[in-house]
Amino acid sequence: MRSPSPLLLAVFAGLLALLGAVPAARAVVPAPSAAPSTNGAASVPLASRSLPSPMNATNTCASCHATLTDTKLRTPAKEYAHSAHRDDRIGCVGCHHGDPRDPTVGAHAKSMGFEPHPTHVEVPQICGGCHSDAAFIRRLNGRLPVGQAALFTLSLHGKLTAAGDGVAPDCSTCHGKHDIQPPSSPLSPVNRTNVAKLCSGCHADKQKMAGYDIRTDQFEKWKKSVHGQAFAAGNPNAPTCTSCHGAHASTPPDAASVAHACGRCHETEMQLFEQSPHSQGFRRRGLAACVACHSNHDVARASAIMVGTGPDATCMKCHNNDEKPRRVADEISNLLRGARERAADARAAVARATTAGLRVSGAPYSLDQVATAETKVRSVVHTLDPARVQAVVSDIESAADETQRLVQSAERNRRLERRGYYAALGLGALLLLALSLKAMDLDRRRRQGGS
Amino acid sequence: MTAPDLPSKPGGWLAERLGWASIASRLGGYSMSRRGFAFYLGGITLFLLVVQVASGILLTLYYQPDAAYAHGSVERIVGEVAYGDLVHAVHSWTADLFVASLFLHLFTVMIRRSFRSPHELSWLTGVALLALGVGQAFTGAVLPWSERAYTHARIGSELARYVPLVGGWLHRFMRGGEDVTSSTLAHAFGFHVAVLPAAVALVLSGHLFLLTRRPVQRPPQPNAESIPLYPDFFVRQGVALTGAMVIVLTLAIFVDRPLGPVADPRVSSAPDAQPPWYFLPVHAIVRAAPKELLGIEGPRFLVGAACVMGLAFVALPFLDRRGSRVTAWAAWVLLVTLLLLSLRALS
Repeated sequence: MRSPSPLLLAVFAGLLALLGAVPAARAVVPAPSAAPSTNGAASVPLASRSLPSPMNATNTCASCHATLTDTKLRTPAKEYAHSAHRDDRIGCVGCHHGDPRDPTVGAHAKSMGFEPHPTHVEVPQICGGCHSDAAFIRRLNGRLPVGQAALFTLSLHGKLTAAGDGVAPDCSTCHGKHDIQPPSSPLSPVNRTNVAKLCSGCHADKQKMAGYDIRTDQFEKWKKSVHGQAFAAGNPNAPTCTSCHGAHASTPPDAASVAHACGRCHETEMQLFEQSPHSQGFRRRGLAACVACHSNHDVARASAIMVGTGPDATCMKCHNNDEKPRRVADEISNLLRGARERAADARAAVARATTAGLRVSGAPYSLDQVATAETKVRSVVHTLDPARVQAVVSDIESAADETQRLVQSAERNRRLERRGYYAALGLGALLLLALSLKAMDLDRRRRQGGS
Repeated sequence: MTAPDLPSKPGGWLAERLGWASIASRLGGYSMSRRGFAFYLGGITLFLLVVQVASGILLTLYYQPDAAYAHGSVERIVGEVAYGDLVHAVHSWTADLFVASLFLHLFTVMIRRSFRSPHELSWLTGVALLALGVGQAFTGAVLPWSERAYTHARIGSELARYVPLVGGWLHRFMRGGEDVTSSTLAHAFGFHVAVLPAAVALVLSGHLFLLTRRPVQRPPQPNAESIPLYPDFFVRQGVALTGAMVIVLTLAIFVDRPLGPVADPRVSSAPDAQPPWYFLPVHAIVRAAPKELLGIEGPRFLVGAACVMGLAFVALPFLDRRGSRVTAWAAWVLLVTLLLLSLRALS
């Protein structure tokens, strides 16, 4: 029997060494860079601590606190067990420090950096310690962003918090403390479905907002707005607070920037508005684009009534006494009204035909064209250029006329067919009569012949 | 100057070339009994079948036998295709009238006791045609894949479960599987346009061949008046067929049969949902049956009893060879019973 070659033995030994190193590599946890204390305990690889625990192998804080009778001390441990941070690479020490190897009250030693109640100013630093460390975050969750702490310092919330403002939020105000859930979870206060309620918790509270000179009716107005109603109806694209104001870098949009907030979704309208005479005029007068006509939190469903010289027309808020703008408003309003009536007539014609059991070939397509042009005219109206509006209105009118033509043709064919049916029935009845007379005649002749 | 071969009557030119005079004199040699409307039901049934085949062929030009498209294609036939609404309505009405006239034709034969020797085979092929006709109507009712079509398919096939011995098989066979699904539609289409029409053509050929071999021309009552086959009987049959055509056209043009919404297997049908009308008597029996009879599941017992009666009905010419008056009375009792059961199922 041949003995194994020394090279093979060396490779085998190398592989064994590599396998042994893998668990050790997995257990490395970074020392939170911005943590108030950088003592040795926090940088000890957590997986190497072999203290027994019913919850997990390394977190004696949670296992001990879960058994305490004082609710205030027991609840954090219970909440932690269901939170997004429940991971032995984070543990309680990730935020509070201390020594989780010590199963006694000695784990709370100040010398180990234990911090039971991080302050308002410290919280963003603690969270940012891990969440700004790309290498650490990528190992836990490749999809998590890492710039939140930096963005927060840019926001008005962040600036106020750093300045020691007691009301302004820190991370835990919005995300929760021990029971933190990922934002994708419906249980998270920052989940899309909960965020308006979360913001209104402070911004609709008159007492909390008393020192800041800002309104508290935004939430109520938003709920009644077209955005809020679409949101309540479950539209996944309907905007909530953070859609316009941002999340971590939230800053109130001013007159110069509001069009960009709206333009994130209403991009075409924003571009066409930039081409309108209003764009320059608003800028000169410091008027907020979009908001001047549509309002902000209580933005209503846009309709053709807004354009024109009628009592509900938005144009008249500024141009009541200006002759040229009044003429343009009237012109565009008349174009829109005409297009609306033609489109409504075309839809009514198709509905009438459908009720009569007709399926008009091509009508669904031409009605789609009407709807597409209607969407387009709602955008083009922001140019305030009657010629451009007229061009799209012509598209609506020709598609509506085509629909009417198709319906009328189908109805005419159906009428002709029905006439053919009546004629066939009449001929059938005549044939029946003729044959009956013939049969009676044959009967009569046979009887005469027989008698 | 006149052309020597110009016909004296319109149509004479053609008659001369066909040698119609000799055909007419041969046909005139046969004599038929001069009867009331009931006597012409066989001809009407055949006429309705011809209309069914013609309109059915037209419908297959546009119908799409796929659960995803079937309902839409019928909507298109009715709403968009030229004359499609008439063709669809005629096909739909003649389907019901065909089954009804098959039943009436059979009852007429039973009441008149025309099944007697030597017409046993005519009776047997006639009963087979009734079964095939009901099969045609049932498979056809599934094809529009509307809510009503779905309900008919589900309840109609549910009743088949109670047939003794073959119930389970028949139930699965009618559904093309365990449940009413898109397979049921594909199955029904194949049977409706290929299998059953082929079987009908075969059995009908036999039925008509037997009629020419042993025509029912012997008046049952000695004092009954007889008439020549041509022209008297032909003209009278013509009156019956034209009458049937006028009735079908009137129903098709003036009585609307809405297609209804598309079938949705997720929606359970209403508790008062009905099977097709020709299954109503069985539906009534199943609904009224007690839970158990003589140790057997109630509906199974009653449907089994009805099946035994059905077998006796098939074997009628052999059970009643001479055609007793009791059979005529039994036919009336059976007809009234079926009507009463149908009414009960509807209430």
